[in-house]
Amino acid sequence: MFVAGMNHRTAPVELREQLALEEEKIREILADLAGRGLLEEIMILSTCNRVEVYGVAAVPGEARSLAFGRLASQRGLAWRDLEPLVYTVTGEEAALHAFRVAASLDSMVLGEPQILGQVKDAFALAQSVGTAGPVLHALMSQAFGAAKRVRSETEVGRLAVSISYAAVELARKIFEGLEGRSVLLVGAGEMSELAARHLVDQGALPVYVANRAWSRAQELARSLGGTPVPFDQMDATLALVDIVITSTAARAPIVTTAAVRAALQARRGRPLFLIDIAVPRNVDPAVNDLENAFCYDIDDLRSVVESNLKERQREAVRAQGLLEQEVVKFMARLQQLEVVPTIVSLREKLEAIRRAELDRALARLPGSGEETRRVMEALSQSIVNKVLHAPMVKLKDSSRAGHGRRWTEVISELFGLRAPGRSGPPE
Amino acid sequence: MNAVLFDVALTAYILAAAAAIGSFAGRREQLGWVALLLTQAGFVCHTAAVILRGMELRRLPFMTMAEVISLVIWAVILVDLWVERRHRIGPLSAFVLPVVLALGLGLPTGLRSIALEPPVPTGWVVVHVTLVLVGLAALVVNFGGALMYLLQERQLKARRPGKIYYRLPPLETLDRLTVATLTVGFPFLTVGLALGVFSARAAWGSVMTFDPLALLSLLMWVIYAAILVGRVMGRWRGRRAAYFSIAGFCVMLVTLGAGVFLHGRHGS
Repeated sequence: MFVAGMNHRTAPVELREQLALEEEKIREILADLAGRGLLEEIMILSTCNRVEVYGVAAVPGEARSLAFGRLASQRGLAWRDLEPLVYTVTGEEAALHAFRVAASLDSMVLGEPQILGQVKDAFALAQSVGTAGPVLHALMSQAFGAAKRVRSETEVGRLAVSISYAAVELARKIFEGLEGRSVLLVGAGEMSELAARHLVDQGALPVYVANRAWSRAQELARSLGGTPVPFDQMDATLALVDIVITSTAARAPIVTTAAVRAALQARRGRPLFLIDIAVPRNVDPAVNDLENAFCYDIDDLRSVVESNLKERQREAVRAQGLLEQEVVKFMARLQQLEVVPTIVSLREKLEAIRRAELDRALARLPGSGEETRRVMEALSQSIVNKVLHAPMVKLKDSSRAGHGRRWTEVISELFGLRAPGRSGPPE
Repeated sequence: MNAVLFDVALTAYILAAAAAIGSFAGRREQLGWVALLLTQAGFVCHTAAVILRGMELRRLPFMTMAEVISLVIWAVILVDLWVERRHRIGPLSAFVLPVVLALGLGLPTGLRSIALEPPVPTGWVVVHVTLVLVGLAALVVNFGGALMYLLQERQLKARRPGKIYYRLPPLETLDRLTVATLTVGFPFLTVGLALGVFSARAAWGSVMTFDPLALLSLLMWVIYAAILVGRVMGRWRGRRAAYFSIAGFCVMLVTLGAGVFLHGRHGS
C-alpha cells in the first residue's frame, strides 16, 4: 500500500494545475493503469492543491513511476521532471498520510472543510471504475471515520480563519445567539457584505443598509433581505441595532463617540458591537472605551484570525495523536483483512494432516500406551509449529508493511489452501 | 459519622475544584467530566452527611454557624449543578467551587464541636435560616457569574484574544446569569433577613443590638439592593453591576466569618 503525490508544499501551482484532470480523464487513466498489471488497486485524488495516487502494488516505486508517467504524458510532461517533487510513503506512513489528508491536516488552510468531500469523490470514482479493492476500501472508510472524529473531537475546523467569519465569531462571543440580532451595514465592500451575509445566514435580522448612494443602499438591502436607510439617519439607527459593520471610503470617522454614547444610553446598556473594516477607520477608536461598546477594526480582526490559526495548529497536534490511534486500528484491520484468514486456513490444514498421520501411525502401533501417544502428539505438534513459524512471521510482517496480499496468495498456492475470502473487508 | 461523611464530601469538592480549574485553564474536556462527577458524588455524600447529622444530634442540622455554612455550601453546589446542566455554562464550577472551598475550610473542626447548649429552634428562626441560606447560595453563584463576566469583558475589550477568550460563554449569557441569580437570591435574602429581625425582637427583646452578624448582613443586603435598583433603572448593567456583585460577596464572606469567629448574639 502506498501513497505518492505532490501538494502545495512540494510543487508550484503552475505544475499542479497542469496535472489537475477532469473526471473523465481520470476514469480513463485509472482503467488504463489497472490493466497494466503492476497495480492491484489504485485511486487518484486531484484537487487544486494536490495530486496524489493511492495504490496497492507489489513494487510501489515502479507503480508510482507508471502512474505519474501516465499523468504527466497527458500534458506533455516527463516523469523525470516531476520526480523530485513527488513524495512517496508506504505502509503505516501511507495510512497516516491518507488520514491526515482526509482530516484536512495537510491542507493549505488547516481545517478546511472541502477536502473530505473531494477525497470521497475520488474514492467513489475509483470504485465506479473498479480499481478500488478491499485494502483501499478499508483505508478510505477508516479515513472518513477518522476525519469525522477530528472534526468533532478537536477544534481544528471550528475557529474562524477569515476576517468575515472572525467577525461573526466575535458577535457570538458577545451576544448569546445571533437570531433576531439587528445589523446595520454602512457602506459596501466585499468583506463587509460577506460578514453581513454570514450574520443573516445565522438568523440576524432586521438588516439596515446605509450608503451615500441611495440606489446602492437599496440594491444591497434587497440582496440581504433588509431595509435601506438614508445616510443622514445613520446615527439614529445606531440605537436600533446590535451589530454595526462599517466600510465606507470616508477619510474621517463617520461614527462618533457621541453618537455611540447616545445609542448606548437609548439601548439601556445592551452591548453594541461595531465591526470597522475600513481603512482609514470609519469609527472613532475612542468608542471602544465606552462601556458596553465593542469596536474591532481590521487589525483587530486580523489578530483574531492569527490567534485562531495558532489555535488550529495546536489542535492539529491533538488531532495528530488521534489519527495515530486510528492508524494503529487500521493496521490491525489490514492484518485481519489480508492475512488472518490465510493463517487460519494454513493452521487448519496442517492440523488436519497432523491428526490424520498421527492416527495412522498410532494404528500401526498396537498396544501403545498413553506415554507413546503423548510423545507422538508432542512430536507432531512440534514439527508442525516449527515448520509454520517462518511462514507465519512472514505473513504478519508483510501485512504490517501493507503488501500482505501478495504473500497470502503465494502461500495459499504453495500449500494448496482454499483461496482466502476476497469478498471485501470485514465491516 | 456525619462529620466523616462531610470530610469525604469536602475532599470530593476539593478534587472537583482542581479538575474544574484544570479543565478551564488547560482546555481538557475530560477533566470537566471528572469535575462534574466528583461534584455530584460530593453532593450526595454531603446530603447524606446533613441528614445523618440531623438524625444523630436529634435536631435540625442548621443551628450552629458551622452547620449553616455547610448548608450554604450544599445549596451553592445545588444551584451550580442546576445552572450548569440547564444553561450549559460549563466553566461555572471553576469559579464557584474554589469559593465553596474557601467557605468550607474551617468546617471540619466546626462540625465536630457540638454546641453545648443548642439554641432552641423556634419556628420562625428555622424559616429565617432556610431562606437566608437559599438567598446566599444564589448570590454565591452570582459572584461566580460576575467574575466570569468581568474576565470575558476584559478579553473582548482588549481585542487581542487571550487564552480565556475561547472558554467562556458569551457576555450576554453571563450577564443573564448574574441577573437571574440576583433576582432569585435577593427576595429570599430579604424575607429571610426580615424574619431574622423579627425573631431577634422576639428572642432578644430589642432589635437594636450590637450583633456583628446582623449588622454586616444589613450592609450586604444594601449592596445587593443597590445593584437591583441600578439594573432596574437601566444604568448599572454589565461591568458596574459585576463590580458591585463582587463587593457584595466580599461583605458576605466577612459576614459569615464574623458569625463563626466573633461572639455576638448569633452564638456558635
